[in-house]
Amino acid sequence: MSTFSREAGAALIEHAQSLDCIHCGLCLHTCPTYQLTGNESASPRGRIHLMRAEAEGRIEPDHSFEEAMNSCLLCLRCESVCPAGVRFESMMESCRDGLDSVRPKGWLARLARRIGFGRILPSRTGIRFTLGALKLAQILGLTRLAPLLLGARGRALASLPSVPPRAERQPLDLAAPASGSETQEAWLMEGCVMPELFGRVNRASAAVLAAAGVHCRTRAEHTCCGALHAHNGDLAGARDLARSTIIAFESSENIPIVVNSAGCGSHMKEYPRLFTEDPEWLDRAQAFSSRVVDFTEFLATPERLDPLKSRLGRSKSGTLAFDDPCHLCHGQGVRSAPRTLLAAIPGVEVVELEDPEACCGSAGIHSMLRPEDSSALLADKLRDLERSGAQTLVTANPGCHMQWAGGLAQAKPGKQVQHIAEVLAKALEPDAS
Amino acid sequence: MQEQIVTQLRAIVGPEGILTDPAALLAYESDGLTLKRHRPELVLLPRDTSETAQCMRVLHEHGIPLVPRGAGTGLSGGATPVPNGVLVGTARMRDVLELNVEDRFARVQAGVVNVDLTRCCDDDGLFYAPDPSSQMACTIGGNVAENSGGPHCFKYGSTTRHILGLVIVTATGEVLHLDEPEVDPEGLDLVGLFVGSEGMFGVATEITVQLTPVPPVTETLLAIFNALDPCCDAVSDLIAARLEPSAIEILDKLTIQAVEASVFAAGYPQEAEAVLLLEVEGREAAVEDTVERMLPILEAHGLLEVRRARDAGERRKLWAGRKGAFGAMGRIAPDLYVADVVVPRTRLREIVRYATDVCTERNLKISNVFHAGDGNLHPNISYDRRDEDEVARVLEAGDLIMEACIEYGGSLSGEHGVGLEKQAMMSRLFTPDDLSVMERVRRCLDPDIRLNPGKMFPVRSCKEVRPQLAGSSGESA
Repeated sequence: MSTFSREAGAALIEHAQSLDCIHCGLCLHTCPTYQLTGNESASPRGRIHLMRAEAEGRIEPDHSFEEAMNSCLLCLRCESVCPAGVRFESMMESCRDGLDSVRPKGWLARLARRIGFGRILPSRTGIRFTLGALKLAQILGLTRLAPLLLGARGRALASLPSVPPRAERQPLDLAAPASGSETQEAWLMEGCVMPELFGRVNRASAAVLAAAGVHCRTRAEHTCCGALHAHNGDLAGARDLARSTIIAFESSENIPIVVNSAGCGSHMKEYPRLFTEDPEWLDRAQAFSSRVVDFTEFLATPERLDPLKSRLGRSKSGTLAFDDPCHLCHGQGVRSAPRTLLAAIPGVEVVELEDPEACCGSAGIHSMLRPEDSSALLADKLRDLERSGAQTLVTANPGCHMQWAGGLAQAKPGKQVQHIAEVLAKALEPDAS
Repeated sequence: MQEQIVTQLRAIVGPEGILTDPAALLAYESDGLTLKRHRPELVLLPRDTSETAQCMRVLHEHGIPLVPRGAGTGLSGGATPVPNGVLVGTARMRDVLELNVEDRFARVQAGVVNVDLTRCCDDDGLFYAPDPSSQMACTIGGNVAENSGGPHCFKYGSTTRHILGLVIVTATGEVLHLDEPEVDPEGLDLVGLFVGSEGMFGVATEITVQLTPVPPVTETLLAIFNALDPCCDAVSDLIAARLEPSAIEILDKLTIQAVEASVFAAGYPQEAEAVLLLEVEGREAAVEDTVERMLPILEAHGLLEVRRARDAGERRKLWAGRKGAFGAMGRIAPDLYVADVVVPRTRLREIVRYATDVCTERNLKISNVFHAGDGNLHPNISYDRRDEDEVARVLEAGDLIMEACIEYGGSLSGEHGVGLEKQAMMSRLFTPDDLSVMERVRRCLDPDIRLNPGKMFPVRSCKEVRPQLAGSSGESA
């Protein structure tokens, strides 16, 4: 028998979770990093095998172990095909969290993380300041120097979309009466970087919801849900942000919380997982998570789709292709809703990409941490878009949005990427917008 | 492994093609047979025939044993590393080299995934017929090594019937081109010899496969029964009545429940004791005729209900459920022993009953999902490899089931190969003379016994080779 030398509880993951994997390998072919490398330890099955071996004390979490774990995009496609229902995301998050203390990162990475995760993301001022600095760097052309100084990571930095002018970087102002006969209320979660980089997406979301008969409320002071923290091995930070998010929205109990960022929505639906050992917060997290709903999922039900349909006019958007964000299709199991919405727009042609559920390589901050992998994955997606004949690529997540925008700007100048809310808003009759 | 050899190999395959780190190597310690594990010394991932040949020459020069590996989804331990050995993986050989729609063949690299063969030609109305349940992940090279089957092999035959040509790298690193896509090659059929050789004759790097026209009409039926026995008898009678569905599969209750709890939930009725998944293909009239003649036979055995897939989506779902069944058993226990025995179809009922009794007596959880049409059974026994006593009981039950199949006039392996799992039982099925002839054939291609050594043939000492317990194999050698 194996020697379980390490003390119970010291393992990076809960050993029992790893036992769900029966080693069938059905996940291999869907894993982007296995596809890139052909390396078993860069596959879900291989990673689970290593996590289990670590928990059994058969392997030390050395640099090669860490590499196997950190190369994962957490796209969750493996969960979509796993017949045994392995909870891969939860295992990987806990493994990375544990690795962080077993194998501390270098001082520069620690500092970057402390500032990024600890100071910037949780604070509106911090986000504004950072984006302001980025804007300045873009105006001065400094971002063009980044590739020279930082190599591939610099290229990722240089391909960030240009920060919109200050006038557009404002939280939603819903004081202006949204037209129509609202019958229902919903929170629209604005997100952390969304108001700065994609204020137009939030405005479009509010307009579309209004047209569907929904009156939106927002919480301007709320910023980050903690998804990036959880994915990148900072569960304590993720718990703090989950608590503040729950507090921000829990006063109004039965009102749905609409999220137009698939990555955040997916994470917030899983909040209870962060509090399995804290009964009080577990209850509150469950109550909160049950109200979280993706923007497309919320709109694609008849009670909202019917009024919305009556407001949609002929669109000039042309040929569209929807690229499923990983945390929408694999994370939340939402697949048909965005297609239902696009099909409801008169005058547009919707085509399918060859592999719409494959990751575009954005994966939170993965595109910054591992730019080579990220651009290899994007290259396949750009090829698929070209083959599909679509002019506009439609997404539902800011990370994917930025990734596609960067890729299209470089490789396919004629094509554009839009959030599904923007496409819908564009099709609203003049009186609805 | 000497640093100088590693450097030599690295120069051939590049830094991405050689794995030496402990975690990277540990991930390769087993294939789908997790009971048997051994960490390889080195993993090589060459990109083509030339790189493979160069690597094999280096390994030959230094007398290093090697094991070929596709996706590592095999269930008999064919890709389990061997002591002091190197793994040669085909995971980076994934190109479709040629697709010839007119002549209906494709030439592909060995690491192409089975399902991608069909994907590359389905727009042209063709498909690759052998469809092992792991087809979403397993490679065509691995299929060749194990002569893999699958539900539709009832009609189309197993892998060997679909391989037209091979490019093989031999033990010494020589490249053999056996890849003229002719129906009947002149001289000895070396391709036929190679298919099913379980990695002992060389590494296939390029494979020419025959593609099959998609039939005009496909009808998929789900026949629901309230007991497993009559379900087995119905299959036997369907065969006897000379009816020709393209696939006949049985799933029992435990399997149905595991699948229905999974992402592959196919809508199998959870209260049913057993279901038959039947597919009939051909021209419309013929399909209709076959279905009509099948129904009375099923009814005579207590058919409760028959459901027809209404469209391609429903059909896909029914099959996805069947093919996810092995993985879905992860919900029952951490490990699964998948037997792969074959019996004459008239004895299906007896052997299923026997397997169930053997397991029940030993307090083991058995589930059945199998290619009934071929008489190819998979009595699946759920267990936990950490429980030494349970492992012993599983192995004992497996042996008893295999012995019974031999007694009934069947065989040890329908499609998974012998590998490590059924090695010890080979001497029950074959005489010493049989085995020695096989070994002589093997030595023609690999005189030093460096290719996948210690597999398939029983070890010729007085003690039987029994799969070792978890944890004791990988670390001890």
